[in-house]
Amino acid sequence: MDSTDLTHLQRRVRWAYELGRLRRALLGVAPVLVIVAVAACVAHRPVSTLWFGLATVTIGAAMLWYGRDPQKAVLPGIAAGLVPLVFALCANHMHACGANGCSSLCVPACALGGVVAGLAVASVGNQRKAGPWFWVSASSLALLTGAMGCACIGYSGVVGLGVGFGAGMVPGLLRRAFGEKST
Amino acid sequence: MRTESNTLDALMARLADGDRAVFARVFELLWGPIHRLCITLLKNDADAADAAQEAMQKILERASDYDKSRPAMPWAMAIAGWECRTLARKHVRRREVDDAGHEQSGEHPEEEFVQRNLTAAAIAALGELSEADRETLVATFWDEAASVSGATLRKRRERALDRLRKTFRRLYGLD
Repeated sequence: MDSTDLTHLQRRVRWAYELGRLRRALLGVAPVLVIVAVAACVAHRPVSTLWFGLATVTIGAAMLWYGRDPQKAVLPGIAAGLVPLVFALCANHMHACGANGCSSLCVPACALGGVVAGLAVASVGNQRKAGPWFWVSASSLALLTGAMGCACIGYSGVVGLGVGFGAGMVPGLLRRAFGEKST
Repeated sequence: MRTESNTLDALMARLADGDRAVFARVFELLWGPIHRLCITLLKNDADAADAAQEAMQKILERASDYDKSRPAMPWAMAIAGWECRTLARKHVRRREVDDAGHEQSGEHPEEEFVQRNLTAAAIAALGELSEADRETLVATFWDEAASVSGATLRKRRERALDRLRKTFRRLYGLD
C-alpha cells in the first residue's frame, strides 16, 4: 500500500475509533436515562426535570466520548448529584406548616443536598489529585443531576442547589490550594 | 522488540483513555506487524491488505475496551488472526460454490490448493479456541512475550497447543 492509501486508511480507522467511543459513551450513559425517567415520574414539574435530564445525558455522553479527565468525572459527578436529586424528590412530597401557612421544603433540601454533593465532588477530586477539568466536569454533572429534582418550585430550588454546592466545595478547594502550596 | 511492545502498551492505554494525540503513532506501530501476519496467514497480498485493513478498523474501534493490564500486540494480533480466518473462510465457501457451479478442477496448482486449505483449516481450528489460547499462540507465532514469562508461559503455550491439536482432530479427524 502506498502512503496515500495508508493516509486514507488511517482516516477511516480514526472515524471507526471515534464511532467506537461514541457507541461506548451512549451505552455508558444509558443508566442515566432510567434516573431521568424515574425523576420525571416523581417530580412535580416533569418538563423541567426532562430538560435538565436531557442536558445531563447529552453532556455525560459527550464527556464519556471525549475521555481523559471529563470521562473520569462522569461517575463521581452523577453519583454526587443523586444526593440533592433524592432530597428534592422527597421534599416534593413534604411541607412544613406554621402559623402563617405551609411552605415547601424544596429549597432547604436542595441547599443541603448541594452541600453534600459539593463535599463529595471535592473529596474525590482531592483524593485523585485531579486536574481542573475533572473538577469542572464533575461539578457540572452533579449540578445538572441535582437540578432535575431542584426545579420543584421553579429556579429558586436550582439557585439553592448552586449555593449549597458552592459552599460544600469551599473546604475541598481550600485544602487543594493550601495542599499545593505546602508541597 | 520488547521496548517497542512496552511503548505500544503505553500508547494503547493512552488511546483507550481518549488521548487522540497518540493515534497516528499507534497506527504506525500496529500496521506493519498486522499486515505481515495477514500475509503469512493468507498467502496473498490483495487478501492480506483487505484483511489487515478490516483488522485495523476493528482493533481501533475497540481501542477504548483495551485492557491496560495485558500486552497490546497479542490482543491486536488475535483480532487480526480472527479477521484473516473470516476472510479465508469466505473464500473457501466461495470456491466451493464456484467448484460446484462449474465442476472445474485443476485450475490452480495442487500444492497451492493444499496449502491454502491447510491454512484455512488451521485458522478455523484456531478460531474454536478461547481468546486466551488464541492470544498465546499468536504471541508464540510472533515471538512476542505475553504478560507472563518463563515456566508459566511455557505451560500456557503447551496447553494451548494441546487444545489446538484436539480441536484439529475433532474437526478434521487427523493431526
